[in-house]
Amino acid sequence: MNLLKITDLQTHFVFHDIDNYRREARALNKVNLNLNRGEIVGIVGETGAGKSLTAQSICGLLRPPAKVVGGSVLFLGKELLSLAEEDLNDIRGAEIGMVVQNPKSSLDPLTRIGDQLVRIHQTHTASAISVARSKAIAMMHAVGIPDPEKRFSAWPHELSGGMAQRVLIAMALMNEPKLLIADEPTTGLDVTVQAQILELLKDLVRRFEMGTIIITHDLGIVAHYCDKVAVMFAGEIVEYGTVTDIFRRPGHPYTKQLLASTPEKLKLNEAGSLGGQPPDLFNLPEGCLSQDRCSLASDQCRTPPPVITLETGQTVRCHFALQ
Amino acid sequence: MPPSVTHQLTWPRRTANRVRGLSRLSPTAAAGVVIIVCFGVLALFSEWFMTHDPVSSYPDRILQGPSYEHWFGTDGNGMDIFSRVIYGAKFGFGIAIPAVIIAVLIGIPVGLIAGYRGGALDEILMRIFDGLRVFPSIILALAVVAATGQSLLNVVLVLGFLDSPVFARLVRAEVLALRSSNFVESAIAAGNPTWRILFFHLLPNTIQGAMAQTAVRAAWAVRISATLAFLGIGIQAPTPEWGAMIRQGAEFMVTGQWWVAIFPGIALIFLVFGLNLLGDGIQDILDPRRRASK
Amino acid sequence: MRQPILRAKNLVKRFSVGRSSSYVNAVNGVDLTIHRGEILGMVGESGSGKSTIGRTLLRLTDPTEGLIEFDGRDITSLSAKELRPLRKDMQMVFQDPWSALNPRMKIGDLIAEPLRIHLKLSEPDLRDRTELLAKKVRLSTEFLNRTPSALSGGQLQRVCIARAIATNPKLIILDEPTSSLDLSVRAGILELLMELREETQAGFLFISHDLGTIKLISDTIAVLYLGRIVELVPKEALFNEPAHPYSQSLLSAHLPADLDAPIQRLILEGEIPSPIDLPSGCSFHTRCPAAVDVCKTATPQPELIAQNHHVSCLRLKDGGNILSRQQA
Repeated sequence: MNLLKITDLQTHFVFHDIDNYRREARALNKVNLNLNRGEIVGIVGETGAGKSLTAQSICGLLRPPAKVVGGSVLFLGKELLSLAEEDLNDIRGAEIGMVVQNPKSSLDPLTRIGDQLVRIHQTHTASAISVARSKAIAMMHAVGIPDPEKRFSAWPHELSGGMAQRVLIAMALMNEPKLLIADEPTTGLDVTVQAQILELLKDLVRRFEMGTIIITHDLGIVAHYCDKVAVMFAGEIVEYGTVTDIFRRPGHPYTKQLLASTPEKLKLNEAGSLGGQPPDLFNLPEGCLSQDRCSLASDQCRTPPPVITLETGQTVRCHFALQ
Repeated sequence: MPPSVTHQLTWPRRTANRVRGLSRLSPTAAAGVVIIVCFGVLALFSEWFMTHDPVSSYPDRILQGPSYEHWFGTDGNGMDIFSRVIYGAKFGFGIAIPAVIIAVLIGIPVGLIAGYRGGALDEILMRIFDGLRVFPSIILALAVVAATGQSLLNVVLVLGFLDSPVFARLVRAEVLALRSSNFVESAIAAGNPTWRILFFHLLPNTIQGAMAQTAVRAAWAVRISATLAFLGIGIQAPTPEWGAMIRQGAEFMVTGQWWVAIFPGIALIFLVFGLNLLGDGIQDILDPRRRASK
Repeated sequence: MRQPILRAKNLVKRFSVGRSSSYVNAVNGVDLTIHRGEILGMVGESGSGKSTIGRTLLRLTDPTEGLIEFDGRDITSLSAKELRPLRKDMQMVFQDPWSALNPRMKIGDLIAEPLRIHLKLSEPDLRDRTELLAKKVRLSTEFLNRTPSALSGGQLQRVCIARAIATNPKLIILDEPTSSLDLSVRAGILELLMELREETQAGFLFISHDLGTIKLISDTIAVLYLGRIVELVPKEALFNEPAHPYSQSLLSAHLPADLDAPIQRLILEGEIPSPIDLPSGCSFHTRCPAAVDVCKTATPQPELIAQNHHVSCLRLKDGGNILSRQQA
């Protein structure tokens, strides 16, 4: 059984204009993703491609106007989308851990960090305070916070960005989750600190055998820290497979574009680079969503592209995947 | 990520939304607009509505109650109160509009320069404005009008001057927030002289808040000018100004001739009320944060 | 030798914090020279003072100490008014294109603004030049009548670049011009910049925290740590044989989006110290694996170790190369 199985997940933004005219932005269109224990999957894509929205949809953290309108999210065989809020609360923070961007604004500024760790443990287990406390200190040690006994009573504002991110990771791991979702865990941190955090994450994932989703726009992180990668464009996963396969033989034209525009691969003075706008989510084109930005696009692309599995096992949503 | 989605609204769509938003004022603001338009018509075309000459007295009809001939009755001089109330709208607008214009013309440049330059100039200007604010404006206005000579023009000038700190402060606060913003820095880097930065870059981005205040400040000016007249400063009695009329009518209240003061009082309340309603409506439109919180 | 357009000597910038007597030591003695036709890349993490250096060099903020020479003329203490005519020849592109443009001006007016200020052109000439500039940065002329809110980030950055090149400046400082843009948009902007470099023969200072971008675009690279240049080096030399321990760890922390790029992890302990309490001696000694006692007291001076390759490290000769030591 997959740890996480997302099938045809659809999330829309539903707006009501001042005159009650209803408009929908189709932000996620049929997202499919499977994740096993001990696997690190990277989700990459441009701003607005729906990376963070996918994470929020999985955890039931959507706020209006965003709304899941279809599909299923099976976590250990349990349908998350139909769970009541209380049941979801039991899972979030316990079996599913989340690490978000902007670590400094994600900590309760009025509670000492040790108490925040203890609180999240006691919310989900009936353990005594002394047990929770020693667990918190052990976890702070595990995420590389020096001098955990002393830092236990530190306030969030006393932490640097990197330390705050470590605390958040410790919080996410307090109840030994089976699934960890990290949304841009190192964006905004310096590269030398990013290196520390990524090494730590990788080490912890291996140690606890967690299934992990890392959402990022940095292909370098994907190349060196992920096992698999899902490439998103306009709310669709256009390609999914192992990092090696996709980086060596990208199947989808958009993946090729994306890889070619990294500084490492970018050939300056070579005319005809890509660019262009992502499609208007209120008014998506018929058929393939990336047709306006694709050099291969033809009349065929006006019909929805099939999802084709290549012999390497990577899946590609494109009419021309086999050519 | 909702902002990135709304960001993708194409511009004609957004403009269309904005226009639709304007035409869909809240019911209270719409009521304000109706009231103001009515008074505006009365002020501009009072000759069409007045049944009598507002300043000719009928010595034989002193202090008569409302009747078919005199709808709102007559006052102590035997003048027709209905016509006087209508004519009074001219004073209401005639004082409020120029006073607000003067306040804007003084306040906005002062706020721009004080906010942008900062330093001692800013300190001094702001302390003067604080000084003006701690005094009850009515007492200050009273003193200044009494000292400078009692004329309509003086009332307008004094009100405009006294109200200018409101606009100066608003603009200054916005300028302070924008002074170190990227686009101002990029304007400096492009080599803009100071006057261009003030008028092409800062002014268009700060004026909205000030404009949102104009209707409310006009209501203030109407109120204060009526109060001055009521106290016998500035505009004098037989002039058909509402404050002066209320002052005249006040003495008859005790003897039972209520209509002399009540009708100009109602007109005054309605105009101030209408301006405030409109002011609220404008603020709702110009300030998206206020709109969102509703 | 190419003609130097900007020189800074011992540039220092301190900001006072609140009303207390403590200071943020943003820039602590920087020497650099930018030549025409050259792109000097400046790389550093947050708190390294790289943005402050850019703004100080253009006198958008006043230096606390030091000397700035632009086109052979000392501009360190010129007044804002005296600087204004010089701004024609030195321009800047900012990091965040969304906030760098006046939201209430039309794109056409924004591009034309530097021309309006510095050149006396007739209206038709002005319009022609504006359209030409728009074409040069590959911005559709239909945007000229729109306001910034109608454009995407990449398009806005093109507007900023058009503004910066409008008066054919001799120096352009780019402060993280691509950091807030998506990968594919970023590529287009970088291509445009390379093209402009060939055409304009201006000197460029390209500030970024991203080694990948810096590697792609620069000729010479200045590595910054806590307001000091620790290594000033031609690009190839930096990527082949970084000399300063900090450059080495920065390079090892960089993740190229390339499976075949060997990565050698050299994870530094801790984070950049606060610029309010600068470490004594070599400011990198608190995190440097090669640090010894002398690093805590003596301040390293730039040393020429190869052609155009300057390094400020006290342990260059005996053990500063931590990468090779790790391999051994």
